[in-house]
Amino acid sequence: MTRFQRFPTAPARLVLAWRAAALVAAALIVGGLLALSGRDVFVLGELVLRSTVGSRFGLEDLALFMTPLVLTGAAVTVTSRIGLWNIGGEGQFYLGAIGAAGVGLYMPGPQIVVLPLMALAAIACGMAWIVVPTLARAYAGVSEIITTLLLNFVAGLLTYWLATGPWRDRVTGALASSGRISDAIPELWGVVHWGFPLSLAIAAGLAAIMTWTSWGYEVRVSGANPGAARYAGMPMRGRVIAVMLLSGALAALAGMFEVAGTVHRLQGGMADNFGYLGIVVAVLARRSCLAVIPAALLMALILDAGIVLQTQQLAATAVLAITGLVLLLIAIGDELAHYRPVAPASSTRSGAAA
Amino acid sequence: MEMPSAAPGTPPVLQLVGICKYFPGVIANEDVNLDVRPGEILALLGENGAGKSTLMNVVTGIYQPDAGEMILDGYGAEFASPQEAIRAGVGMVHQHFKLVPAFTVAENIHLGWSETPRNASPAVLEARTRALSEQFGFPVNPSARVEDLSAGEQQRVEILRVLARRARLLILDEPTAVLTPAEARDLFSALRAFRAGGNAVIIISHKLDEVMEISDRVTILRGGRNVGTWETRECSPRMLAATMVGREIVPQDMRARSEGAAPRGVAPELSLRGVSVRDERGVETLSDVTLDVFGGEILGIAGVAGNGQRELTEVLTGLLSPERGEVLLGGQTAPPGADAFARSGVGHIPQDRLHSALAPPLGTTDNMALREYRAPPIGGSGLFRADAALALAREIVGLAEVRIPDFGAPVRNLSGGNQQRLVARREMRIASRVLVAAYPSRGLDIGAIATMHRYFAELRDKGVAIVLVSEDLEELLNLSDRIGVMFHGRLMATLDAEDADIERIGLLMGGRDVGEDVASGGGVA
Ligand SMILES: Nc1ncnc2c1ncn2[C@@H]1O[C@H](COP(=O)(O)OP(=O)(O)O)[C@@H](O)[C@H]1O
Ligand SMILES: [Mg+2]
Repeated sequence: MTRFQRFPTAPARLVLAWRAAALVAAALIVGGLLALSGRDVFVLGELVLRSTVGSRFGLEDLALFMTPLVLTGAAVTVTSRIGLWNIGGEGQFYLGAIGAAGVGLYMPGPQIVVLPLMALAAIACGMAWIVVPTLARAYAGVSEIITTLLLNFVAGLLTYWLATGPWRDRVTGALASSGRISDAIPELWGVVHWGFPLSLAIAAGLAAIMTWTSWGYEVRVSGANPGAARYAGMPMRGRVIAVMLLSGALAALAGMFEVAGTVHRLQGGMADNFGYLGIVVAVLARRSCLAVIPAALLMALILDAGIVLQTQQLAATAVLAITGLVLLLIAIGDELAHYRPVAPASSTRSGAAA
Repeated sequence: MEMPSAAPGTPPVLQLVGICKYFPGVIANEDVNLDVRPGEILALLGENGAGKSTLMNVVTGIYQPDAGEMILDGYGAEFASPQEAIRAGVGMVHQHFKLVPAFTVAENIHLGWSETPRNASPAVLEARTRALSEQFGFPVNPSARVEDLSAGEQQRVEILRVLARRARLLILDEPTAVLTPAEARDLFSALRAFRAGGNAVIIISHKLDEVMEISDRVTILRGGRNVGTWETRECSPRMLAATMVGREIVPQDMRARSEGAAPRGVAPELSLRGVSVRDERGVETLSDVTLDVFGGEILGIAGVAGNGQRELTEVLTGLLSPERGEVLLGGQTAPPGADAFARSGVGHIPQDRLHSALAPPLGTTDNMALREYRAPPIGGSGLFRADAALALAREIVGLAEVRIPDFGAPVRNLSGGNQQRLVARREMRIASRVLVAAYPSRGLDIGAIATMHRYFAELRDKGVAIVLVSEDLEELLNLSDRIGVMFHGRLMATLDAEDADIERIGLLMGGRDVGEDVASGGGVA
């Protein structure tokens, strides 16, 4: 008789296998429900596949979705490694977009100079946006979850105000956006710009830093047990500050890529939940910076499929429900990955009444 | 194997038949038979990692057995959860308490209990708690917050919580490890009263004297298997120790130097000069302490826990910088910070390993690198070389004689004794000048304690200065060259171990300064 037992660790192999099963289950459930409501599941399925992974246009779209998701996902992941949660990716994304747009709109110059300046301005703005929660956390122990979250709303409104007020487009008179920024990140493949490979490289680089540097080790230990970090004389406060600023910078870079790579303007609402979805990506990635990449791919697939389904007259709320279902099933799969069969006792048993 | 024969007419409260429990790569329990009868206290003995906690977790439904059965009052029983176990009258008080620190005693007693009256006011809960406390003879203060209680008081709350749910079998996992001797005495008289009511107790302990005093029968586990059950009055501590470890433990006088041992240093390795420390509430927790530790000696620190020992060890290891006074390392003003102390050769076995010495969710590799990750081969030029860290971890694990099936698996899953061995070995590696050890034998079995003492003696013979904080006077007298006694943050006196007797130390521990040659600031030899 084999028993299944819950183990405290889940091997990556099992997590992957269960997640694959979860995706299949989600597809079956959604397919079943759509069939019941009288839709042709195969036509819909084919359409979704063709317009995501099955065509060049779809692949380009996926890459464009993935770029900000990798960065905002990495932003949350780095804080989770030290035991904190930056919920303010959305706000830092906006600030990054503002910083980049400010430079792009008002500092003419050769592209080779302006683009790096846009990135630097974005990073500086993103860090500035997280600096108060950071210091409150490091010096007063104020929960960063609340402070970073609240600043999102401020950042969103600030962006609207700039895009419709002082920086509004005076050329075309578009209502909710700034003028067009001429400096753009060069394109690599269709509409996919260099921000895409760059974001993948950043995630890989972060993974390397977290695993192969003593800084990453200190972050790991501080996150696992602050008491042990103090005991070993690690500069805990310094690490918390550095990690949170890094997190703000990553989310802000996502905003810069979006401005300079895809939208080419500052627009109200342009963060489009990428900051919040970064939290989902981080949860899917289970604290691994490298796993952020496949997690962002999955998230991008879900977003993209959702858009396709909406064009087929599926309500936006139904799409949201499907997203929730996928995430729920994956969470269940993650839990199941903790269970493994244990060998039955028979082989070593000697007589009980010796 | 010796099968205990039940006394005629009294079916055991609980009987275990052929219980097996496996973890990946570890046999925690195999083929364990055991019975407890009404009106008896059964002691469960065994080395660290012998599987005592696991077996009791199986009994109380935290784990499910992989084979074997449980018979309760003559009927087969299976518990899917501790709640089911307590409903059947089997309750356990764990090694690590499971109370809610921010709640009051009354709230903790009533938490998750079907008999808690709905919407009861705090006054009602407190009155009920007071009644229970009188009924079972466990004095508690119902309105106190658990976080403000001492370990002994918290334990009383835990026990009362179990008894209130009408437990007939009470399981205690190393209950006296955190108690002062007086608290342990109170606990034992309460257990005797509980037994007199026809109830049963299983008590896990490493302290053989206690086992001899309190238990009626003794069951010993070794390597997850039951090696036998005896009537306590037929046992001697020595025989129990030998059976537990599987070999004779010969008590040694650790104070004797080995041949070619480094002589006691002439200049102190580590010194405190008039050191005072205040806690965040402004209370002086360490007052004007002056002491010297010399290479090649063991300085024992005696005292009831909570009299400034924690602060003393933290100052001695650079974790706490004194508010007043000076810390000298090798005669020089010590560099600030725990990291600098560690690099100058100061090792530290702290009193709460899970809170400070280890990162429980991380693996053995990461945890063993904690002291040496900054320098090559692991560190250097900002890198962390995982392969070098793994090699170091393997080396420490080998020296500590711990079996680690998976170096990446969280150390939280190791038994308490194995965690302690790993920490001790890691710290002894870096302690080239000083080793500060706080309660190093807490939670260790006697075999492991003897080994640890031998290591300390070897370290001393190599010329390292050792500060040993302990509540166990016998341990201190057996190892130390000098003994300092702490009371209310003061070092009452430092005595030469040769002319220190237990009486005198006991009086000093209680704050009574009786010696003629005792300087108030702590004399130095
Ligand atoms: N959850 C767990 N996962 C893996 N191994 C475990 C777990 N709990 C205990 N063990 C292992 O089982 C053995 C018995 O442990 P334990 O019952 O805690 O011993 P004891 O209480 O007698 O010191 C040890 O080798 C320990 O490392
Ligand atoms: Mg145990």
